Amino acid sequence: MPILTRGSFANAATSLALKTGDWRLQRPQYRHRSAPCAVGCPAGENPQAYIAMVAEGNLRGAWEMLVAANPLPAITGRVCHHPCESACHRGSYDQPIAIHSVERFLGDRAIAEGWNYPLKPSSPDAPRVAVVGAGPAGLSAAYHLARLGLSVTLFDAEPEPGGLLRSALPPYRLPRTVLNSEIARLLAVGIAFKPNRRVGRDVSIDELRADFQAIFLGPGTSRPREWSVDGTVPSDLRTGLDLLREWISIGAIPTYNRVAIIGGGNTAIDLARVLKFSGVDEVHLITFQALPGPAVRREEAMSAAPREIGQALEEGVTIHDRRGVRRLIMRGNRVVGVETVHMKELGTATGERKLVSFEGTETILKVDHVIPAIGQQLDSSVFGNLLGQPSIFVGGDARSAAGTVSGAIGDGCRAAIAIRNYLDGLPPAGDEMPRPIAFDDLNINYFDHAPRAEALILEVEHRSAEKEIEAGISHQDLNAEAHRCFSCGECMSCDNCWTLCPDNAVLKADTRDGWRYAFDYDHCKGCGICANECPVGFITMFDEQ
Amino acid sequence: MSSEEPSANIAELHHKQPAFRGLEAGHLACPGCGQALGARLVTEAIGPDVIIANATGCLEVFTSAWPRSSWRVPWIHSLFENAPAVASGIEAALKMQGRPTKVVAMGGDGGTFDIGLQSLSGMLERNHNVLYVCFDNEGYMNTGGHRSGSTPHAAVTMTSPSGKKRMGKRHLKKDLLAIIGAHQIPYAATATVAYPSDLRAKVRRGIEIEGAAFLLVHSPCPLGWGHEGALSIEIARLAVQTGFFPIVEMERGAVVNAMQIRNVRPVAEYLRPQHRFQHLFSDSPEAREELEHLQQLADYNIERYRLTSGQSESRDTEATDTVMRGGMRWS
Repeated sequence: MPILTRGSFANAATSLALKTGDWRLQRPQYRHRSAPCAVGCPAGENPQAYIAMVAEGNLRGAWEMLVAANPLPAITGRVCHHPCESACHRGSYDQPIAIHSVERFLGDRAIAEGWNYPLKPSSPDAPRVAVVGAGPAGLSAAYHLARLGLSVTLFDAEPEPGGLLRSALPPYRLPRTVLNSEIARLLAVGIAFKPNRRVGRDVSIDELRADFQAIFLGPGTSRPREWSVDGTVPSDLRTGLDLLREWISIGAIPTYNRVAIIGGGNTAIDLARVLKFSGVDEVHLITFQALPGPAVRREEAMSAAPREIGQALEEGVTIHDRRGVRRLIMRGNRVVGVETVHMKELGTATGERKLVSFEGTETILKVDHVIPAIGQQLDSSVFGNLLGQPSIFVGGDARSAAGTVSGAIGDGCRAAIAIRNYLDGLPPAGDEMPRPIAFDDLNINYFDHAPRAEALILEVEHRSAEKEIEAGISHQDLNAEAHRCFSCGECMSCDNCWTLCPDNAVLKADTRDGWRYAFDYDHCKGCGICANECPVGFITMFDEQ
Repeated sequence: MSSEEPSANIAELHHKQPAFRGLEAGHLACPGCGQALGARLVTEAIGPDVIIANATGCLEVFTSAWPRSSWRVPWIHSLFENAPAVASGIEAALKMQGRPTKVVAMGGDGGTFDIGLQSLSGMLERNHNVLYVCFDNEGYMNTGGHRSGSTPHAAVTMTSPSGKKRMGKRHLKKDLLAIIGAHQIPYAATATVAYPSDLRAKVRRGIEIEGAAFLLVHSPCPLGWGHEGALSIEIARLAVQTGFFPIVEMERGAVVNAMQIRNVRPVAEYLRPQHRFQHLFSDSPEAREELEHLQQLADYNIERYRLTSGQSESRDTEATDTVMRGGMRWS
């Protein structure tokens, strides 16, 4: 560097030789953090990541990223209760991102364009795995096993694949064309599908064990829970799921005048709506859970999806929430009414929760039928004593009490990884995610309010059990929704850090691995402006050693 | 999604940035310096074809530790009080030579509100084609944090301590904008480092305009104001959102535009993170009265410059710097 001694003169930008990074007490680093939608997704999706690709206009890439976790997005986009949206940080600002609409758009686009999964065919000598049950858990497990290069044979007791998706979800929520397209695409990845094979009847576990190196069980729950009120059971009692299945498969349902359905889950709501569509005058739904609302804690609310509950109310279903059935009023062995009573779940001294009914709140409801829709349980005569057997893996409703479609899909994926690790002689993998990001770690000053894209919903008078009620969103709305995303915990290349550094110590690096900035630690003084002003919480300050 | 740093050659990257950077790294400003950021943003908006005359002050000292300079543009420092006079001379010479190079004068609030006010007034009165940028950190921070004509009322500085008789500075912040306006120059504006899009647009406007232009840039000083360096932008933003520092544009002395505050915040939110206002949060009638006084001054700004329209606007305090994927908004 030329130094002129005469006067005060210096060459341009020579201060770069001064390494002011020496002053630093804390060091900023780019760190991915988990978005709440990704943490909340039972199927293991990362909506933040695929929504970012939608925002970049890469729909195919977004779909491929989505199906790396969930092979059935057009289905889950319709039927999932989307806990991702309940968790979405945008909900603490204005309204959550309509993630289910984005998921559904991508799923529908893939069906329309005939996109196929980016999979390689498995080699002929790949280990053989049997998957029992072609419901969401089994389908997901089969798909993920095929992704991992294993050879998969899928067994189901029914003539067609789909499990509960086919037998228990009415077409107004899930059109058959969507169901068939996604399942057909999934089976086409090279899965051998064996219909009409009920394990325990047509094929035994021991036979499977002899033919396959590992077994995934996703049989679902087929046995109705026992139900009575103090031992009283009406002679013509049918369960909710039983009736719903009958209506879906043959399109007919017994004619009732006044019905009380017991339960607050999706089956109860679906059955109530189907009965209403088929002309039943009074459909009452009795549940000890609460109608969802801002003041209601998630675990106290009805387990059915809030939008389905809302639509059922619009259609004229009467919901008696926080109530239980105290007594059946019988004439002979037929029901003529129920006595309900206010009920609430309260904490006990030991910290458990128990249902308490309140004396003096009894009401009589005149009905001619009572239908319990309180869930199913595992058929333990077949699957009861398989616990702890090393080559057998279980997922879906058969594993947990409060099953959901997305939870079953997540189970299938986790099981597939566990099976691969088991076959390779590796220890089981844990679910490791980067540290989740809190709402306060975002800088909300850099976002502006924008309305959420709402899907069109058929007017009540145009609704029927056969026609899909909720429409998808437009491409324009999809883009708007993608740009509303806070991109929690992941760089959105907004240039804030690059623009606001007083020391020019954030440089555009144009690297190819997704984010575009680099810190110049020779000059970064560690002031922390970049971390404080990062809208998405992608920068963390660490103490210097 | 990788957490590893890109393996780029950092020294080379300094020469490969997509925007011109007139003020380079390696300067000796404190961590989180608002003025360093402000000078960076101003020079980036102007571009390379400029000559800068700099008054004495922090900016002059921390960018020119001889034998090195942080500037990438021609830059001259002469005295505390004469930056406008030096700039006037450069502008006259360039005019004689018929060269289009822009001339910018820079100073702190000490060099602008107090020491250089006379030469600034002369430059404005002669309507030289110069943009004068004052980085307002509200005190003589380079020499140890003394009060200036720009120090806000009730702020504690080394020469305006809080004690039994007084709660910090006794006098009010000088209304420099009114003085500038009285010169009837074509363009004058206030801006802040918290809203870089707005700041850059105003620099470009000041440069485009034929004749004298004046820009007052609110620039937090972590050392002098007593706050974490990381909070510089946040505090500057609160100064605007509370009405404490109004963001306005003037043409020929008349206010023609003001950044609207969508959600007015209480002035205490701006004051609380700053040590220079801590005494206002003690439990005494005097403190409560002075706190209320500052709230009234902010409210008066809102009234005087009509800072609330009651509607959401695309350039208001909430929407001006809404981020977009890919960084489009800063350009």
